[in-house]
Amino acid sequence: MLKMQDVSKVYRTDLIETHALRNFSLEVKSGQFVAVSGPSGSGKTTFLNVAGLLETFDTGIYALDGQDVTRLSDDARSRMRNEKIGFIFQSFNLIPDLDIYDNVDVPLRYRRMKAAERNQRITKALELVGLASRMKHMPSQLSGGQQQRVAIARAIAGDPALILADEPTGNLDSLMARQVMDLLEQINEMGTTIVLVTHDPELARRAQRNIHVVDGVVIDSAPYERRQPAEEARAGAEG
Amino acid sequence: MLSYYLRLALNSLRRTPGLTALMICAIALGIAACIVMLTMYHAMSGNPIWWKNNVLYAVTMDSWDPGPPYDPQHPTLPPPELTYKDATYLAGSDIPKRKVIMAQLQGMLNGAPGQILPLRVMTRATTQDFFAMFDVPFEYGGGWRGNDRDALPEIVLTKQVNDELFGGADSVGRSIVWNGNRFRVVGVLRDWDPLPRFYDVVDGAFAPPEDTDQVYVPFSWITALQAQPFSNMTCHGSGGVQNYRQFLASECLWVQMWAELPSAASRERFHAFMDAYWAAQRKAGRFPRPLNNRLTDVSQWLEVNGVVSSDSRILLRVAFAFLAVCLINTVGILLTKFIRGAPIIGVRRALGASRRQIFAQHIVEVAVVSIAGALLGLALGAAGLAAVQASFAQDNTYGMLAHFNPLGVAWALALAAASTLAAGLYPAWSVGRVQPAGYLKRT
Amino acid sequence: MMNLNVRPVLSALSRNRTGAVLIALEIAIALAVMVNAAWIIAQRVQQIEAPSGLDVRETFAIGVAPLSSHTDLGAAQREDLAYLRSLPGVVAATATSSVPLSPYGQGTTLSADPGPQAPMTTTRFMEADEATLGTLGVRIVAGRNFSATDIKPLSQGFFQSYPEVIITQSLADKLFPGGNALGKPIYAGDNTPMTVIGITSNFIPSAPSSPSYDALLLPQTPGDFGSYFCLVRTRPGMTAALLQTARRHLATSNLERVVFMAQTLAYYRQRLDAESRDVAVFLTLVTALILAVTCLGIFGLTTFNVSTRTKQIGTLRAVGARKRDIVAHYLVENAIVLLSGGLVGIALALGVGDWLSDQYQLPRLDLHFLAIGVITLAVIGQLAAWQPARRAASVPPSVATRTV
Repeated sequence: MLKMQDVSKVYRTDLIETHALRNFSLEVKSGQFVAVSGPSGSGKTTFLNVAGLLETFDTGIYALDGQDVTRLSDDARSRMRNEKIGFIFQSFNLIPDLDIYDNVDVPLRYRRMKAAERNQRITKALELVGLASRMKHMPSQLSGGQQQRVAIARAIAGDPALILADEPTGNLDSLMARQVMDLLEQINEMGTTIVLVTHDPELARRAQRNIHVVDGVVIDSAPYERRQPAEEARAGAEG
Repeated sequence: MLSYYLRLALNSLRRTPGLTALMICAIALGIAACIVMLTMYHAMSGNPIWWKNNVLYAVTMDSWDPGPPYDPQHPTLPPPELTYKDATYLAGSDIPKRKVIMAQLQGMLNGAPGQILPLRVMTRATTQDFFAMFDVPFEYGGGWRGNDRDALPEIVLTKQVNDELFGGADSVGRSIVWNGNRFRVVGVLRDWDPLPRFYDVVDGAFAPPEDTDQVYVPFSWITALQAQPFSNMTCHGSGGVQNYRQFLASECLWVQMWAELPSAASRERFHAFMDAYWAAQRKAGRFPRPLNNRLTDVSQWLEVNGVVSSDSRILLRVAFAFLAVCLINTVGILLTKFIRGAPIIGVRRALGASRRQIFAQHIVEVAVVSIAGALLGLALGAAGLAAVQASFAQDNTYGMLAHFNPLGVAWALALAAASTLAAGLYPAWSVGRVQPAGYLKRT
Repeated sequence: MMNLNVRPVLSALSRNRTGAVLIALEIAIALAVMVNAAWIIAQRVQQIEAPSGLDVRETFAIGVAPLSSHTDLGAAQREDLAYLRSLPGVVAATATSSVPLSPYGQGTTLSADPGPQAPMTTTRFMEADEATLGTLGVRIVAGRNFSATDIKPLSQGFFQSYPEVIITQSLADKLFPGGNALGKPIYAGDNTPMTVIGITSNFIPSAPSSPSYDALLLPQTPGDFGSYFCLVRTRPGMTAALLQTARRHLATSNLERVVFMAQTLAYYRQRLDAESRDVAVFLTLVTALILAVTCLGIFGLTTFNVSTRTKQIGTLRAVGARKRDIVAHYLVENAIVLLSGGLVGIALALGVGDWLSDQYQLPRLDLHFLAIGVITLAVIGQLAAWQPARRAASVPPSVATRTV
């Protein structure tokens, strides 16, 4: 699904050069749930931006879902982001002036889907995250956890191949955090590849693999055991 | 997609009502000011006979005395009128396709059925080509055809005079008394009041109603009545004239002349004719000033005689400067507002919007503002023109010309659309260049 | 004590350049327009206020034309004047060939030296009688008025020679720059001298276009040009009524001649002023609007800038800035923009002023206007940013720590 080979990215200002990513190589197979962790300043954010086609990189090769995206035009990258990737941000990044329905609608609009199909997808996505009854509410009327779940609905509404989550639980309390992670696992079980970027080792442990990044380089990459579904259900009921 | 962008645009505009109102009002005011000035400028400077601009020429020679020029404001120009002697001589040439010499007279009309009091009329004494040359439209009949010295003298009435004396009926063939002499009505004009009055700028290009021509008689009647013209007359020095014959032979300037010269060749020949006459007269002791014979076409004539007052030009430029300020205001506001929305733009870009789609979304917002501003500006402009017409003195130039015509509307719409869209192009484009990554950072 | 830290303001401005540049541009244009418009308005107002030298409010004119060439205009005139003078409320009446301030009138050229080569001055002239000056309320400043015997009767003659004439002070100054025109001869393009027997205070004779105070009075019963005008001065408040009465009577009393105009001098004065007044009004309106739009722009954008930078403001306050430091920051920022716009505006205003002088023969821009314009714009521009600056100061420091 995601294959990076010797990717490097350098930030240059007049005074200093920062090597955010250094010969970064990573391969994520389709259907995997992978965590990318490391201390702050390690380059995880840069990795996320590059992986999500939000930024270009200087050297190396990056192939997403079998397609070489190294030298794509801005328009083509926008299309890829729209069709293949779903984003989840730490600060939710919902559009405050649109209601929940319209927020989930945004990526679908850029794909020029017909109204009927959009409606169907939005409803399904909101049902999955359990917020279908709040379609007409504004983001400010929801709690943090609910907002993040809306963001997740937005991310999956278009059936992306890859979900990139950047500290999705950073602004949530432990209960909401658990709900969100449960959702992500559920989505992963349905077949979507998930790459989770976090500095929290506890969070990283919920993924199948953990990629540890320090100073722009992959240090090690180890698999973790997945939690049992039964344990998760009990945890959810208690909260 | 358009309806989506429209919804987003209305949403965004509603969110900052003050700024939105400011933008729309500023644009509207700028456009209204330009509409008012453009309409009036267009009306005042327009050439009412533009289709004949290349064939009609004002004929002037410089018979002024040496020393200070006739018009200190335009020292190189000859006087706009000719002496009787020069005019009648030049009008004898058959080089021009048509030609006309004319002056204004005071007239008194009498003898219409049921008329009690005599009607004072401003009379234009002119030769017969006047009507054909200036494409004057007739309701009934036509100009006089025959010899100017026909046994039964002929007169042409304007629509207003015909309405007043004959109730608007076809009065061709009826007789009427003009200045004590019996005339036969040979034609009645349709409503004809070209503004500016290009063919007689000297007596006022925008003459008030009491000074516009009301009847037309053959030119020879001036001399037949031994009358003095009522139109502008300039005699340098008044000495030496004791009687009418001497008056006609004097250097008094009171006759205006126009020639229809359709080809460059005919213009050259007529110019040569004028120059030859000038040389001969100079030998006889006249024309002390240097050779300055001119044939001036209508638009140049209007320009040269200052018909478009410098005032209206200044005001037009001020109006445009105002519009510029309003547009700059709008650009600034749009730019700042769009850039403030950059974080959300970043989100949209992350979700897959291309630069073009972001640009389209913002151009729609610009279009909404520009259409609203344009419509409001049109309304304000129309109101402004109405106010000008109502509040300023009725026979004041500006008051008469403040008519909102279809051409003006078209101009205004084009101006509104073009200017506001142009103003919004840069902001809409620059916001599309927002790099998504920069705005998605965690807080 | 306020810390006018200019450097942080400059750096903040340079990051937010475009909005500031646009406002500066607006200010430049607004200054150029304001200053020059005010200058033009001043010229026009001067023209409007130029005294006519006459009693405009209480005088009216009635224009009379003969019905035919057989009409005895002289007799008609005597009849009309007798009637007018008999009306209660009429102070004086006279017959002339032109109407002051109106387009009805004649002109000629004069010089102080005889012969056709002499330098000529263009002037309006008026055929008048001994009552004319009194009716118009014009003073004699030197010499004497015409007496009744001086006035020549009507004849079919043209431009007769008049041994004695009266001129206005303005014309006297033009013909005899050294002064003392009284008693000197003047010539109308030939060798026949006309002696100046009286000099009057300045008044505006007929004015076909731009009015001037040059006038020549000839002792001649009017009517040679085909019509005459009865000028009548009434007691205050009776002008309109008497105008109607006189007009009605004259229209029917003698069918050998016809009334073709009846109007107050005030009407012509207003018409003369009309274009100047219109220009002044329009310019004032547009100038005010430009000022308003520019200030609203400053207000709007500053408010907006404040609302987008609440986090920074909160942070500044959190680290110790006082309310007035915040206000100062925004006022300094605004001042820098005003200054740069103002400098460009001064150059623009001077350039436009020069161009106007050349193109439209206006006198050169008075620099006082420029100074006043700059100060006005500076003050109003800062006032426009005052309220947003105060709103910025009220942003609480706690904003700094809020996250989402």
